Amino acid sequence: MPAIVTQGLTRRFGRHLAVDTLSMTVPEGAVYGFLGRNGAGKTTALKMLLGLLKPGAGQARIAGIDVGRDRIAAARQTGALLEAHGLYPNLTGRENLDLTRSLLGLPRVEIDRVLDVVEMSGDAGRRVGGYSLGMRQRLGLARALLGAPPVLILDEPTNGLDPDGIADMRRFLKSLPDRTGATVLLSSHLLGEIEQTATHIGILNGGRLVLEGELARLKADLPPEIDLRVDDAGRARSVLANHDLTVTDQPESLHLELRPGQDVDATAAALNRDLIAAGIGVFALSPRARSLEGIYRAVTAASAPRAPETL
Amino acid sequence: MLSVLSVEIRKLNRSLALLLALAAPCLIGIFAFFNISRFDRPGPWEQWLTTSVGIWAFFMLPMSVTALPALIAQMEHAPRSWDHLRSLPVPRWRLYAAKLVCMLGLVVVMSVLNLAITWTAVELAATLKPAIRPTGVPDVAGTAWLLAKVLAAALLMVAIQFWTAMRFSSFVPALALGIGGTFFAVVATGAKQGVFFPWQMAVNVLSEGWRHDTALALGGGLGILALIAAVVHLSRREVL
Repeated sequence: MPAIVTQGLTRRFGRHLAVDTLSMTVPEGAVYGFLGRNGAGKTTALKMLLGLLKPGAGQARIAGIDVGRDRIAAARQTGALLEAHGLYPNLTGRENLDLTRSLLGLPRVEIDRVLDVVEMSGDAGRRVGGYSLGMRQRLGLARALLGAPPVLILDEPTNGLDPDGIADMRRFLKSLPDRTGATVLLSSHLLGEIEQTATHIGILNGGRLVLEGELARLKADLPPEIDLRVDDAGRARSVLANHDLTVTDQPESLHLELRPGQDVDATAAALNRDLIAAGIGVFALSPRARSLEGIYRAVTAASAPRAPETL
Repeated sequence: MLSVLSVEIRKLNRSLALLLALAAPCLIGIFAFFNISRFDRPGPWEQWLTTSVGIWAFFMLPMSVTALPALIAQMEHAPRSWDHLRSLPVPRWRLYAAKLVCMLGLVVVMSVLNLAITWTAVELAATLKPAIRPTGVPDVAGTAWLLAKVLAAALLMVAIQFWTAMRFSSFVPALALGIGGTFFAVVATGAKQGVFFPWQMAVNVLSEGWRHDTALALGGGLGILALIAAVVHLSRREVL
């Protein structure tokens, strides 16, 4: 059974359509990167999953439980870190955790367990008012982990962190499924973060899910690309015309897009041979790594003309 | 429900709300000390205790009920913790009911402190200046009963302030409402219609006859209904 399933989830704010018939599936044990630019509807969707907002249409299930019908049972399966941490600055880290622990009816040892997971045991006695943003994020994560919920919903967990904080958070998020066994739904607008952390992705654009799938498979389906720098682009283009690929001019190079499934190494070797044989000086011939950015640009560009966010 | 209530009480630790709960009765005690000290002859205990209850009902209670719900609500509004609280597997009405009980508990504590600090202030003044030692015996039970009626009549005002403070994430609407209500209560103290004005109901309980009964019935009765309505409304609405 998938950890999270939504079907036709929709939410409007007045005339603004924030989430449009969102149907997504988060497999159990996945780190699911929920991608989209600011205002794409990610937070609204997450709030509907948590029962904080009521959908105008559609339904959401967490661990098989319909959130709309039984919010409390669904919430028992979920730990959440929201964009606003909601920590009390007048209390210590441990006191903050203890409040949620009491509300969840958990034993006191849970606090030490989650502090250990986020490596914050040493700072738990200090008031949260004196914490850095990174420490607050980690404490928020510790709070989400209380009771070891099978599903974690994390809204922009790297927001506002410095580079070291982002690296720490990335390392931590990657290790979460192994350390806790939880399925993680992680929203972000940072492609690099999702690429290095997620096993699955869903891309939201203008409130609509425009792509979903396993990240490795999506990348494998991308056509291979090669960047080429030569001394004579005009002559090179005529050599390249004999190969099955698409050539695009870049400011200082040629961009070659191969056909899906084409062997990039064999093609590069063949290109190199032909260019040298034609007396063309080859400065660089570099296969481009398949990136999430490529996927993101392709799907958002394809769905870009649509502007019905406001109906 | 007890665990939710316990959480609310623990949130007060090192908070401004707790500081206010101590500061307001202390101010009345300080005033009582200097007020009695300026006399050369003793007055009855009843006079000092009733004066203290009067100041409480007339001004300090409305001002405290303006600030206290705002401070308690800002404990959630400021760090934007409503989303966290409301996403927990706890019925939402309990979260608001616990806040309400916690706030009412603080007002009861302030009322008790008002009596205790006033008694202490009068005793201290009489010790320093034996000539003004009050006559008679302090009617602590009677004064406590009067304070309880003041609180009961103030419930409608408490409900309005609580509702406003919890509903709006800015503290301005609750403060503006409370300051405005107290202002009109003070400048129109003698108005006959004041008995129907939530911010004057508490002080009208100090009168006798129909004003006393009307203020108590309206303030207490409507107050309880308004408090229930506030909890129901707040727990059902979406916090955007």
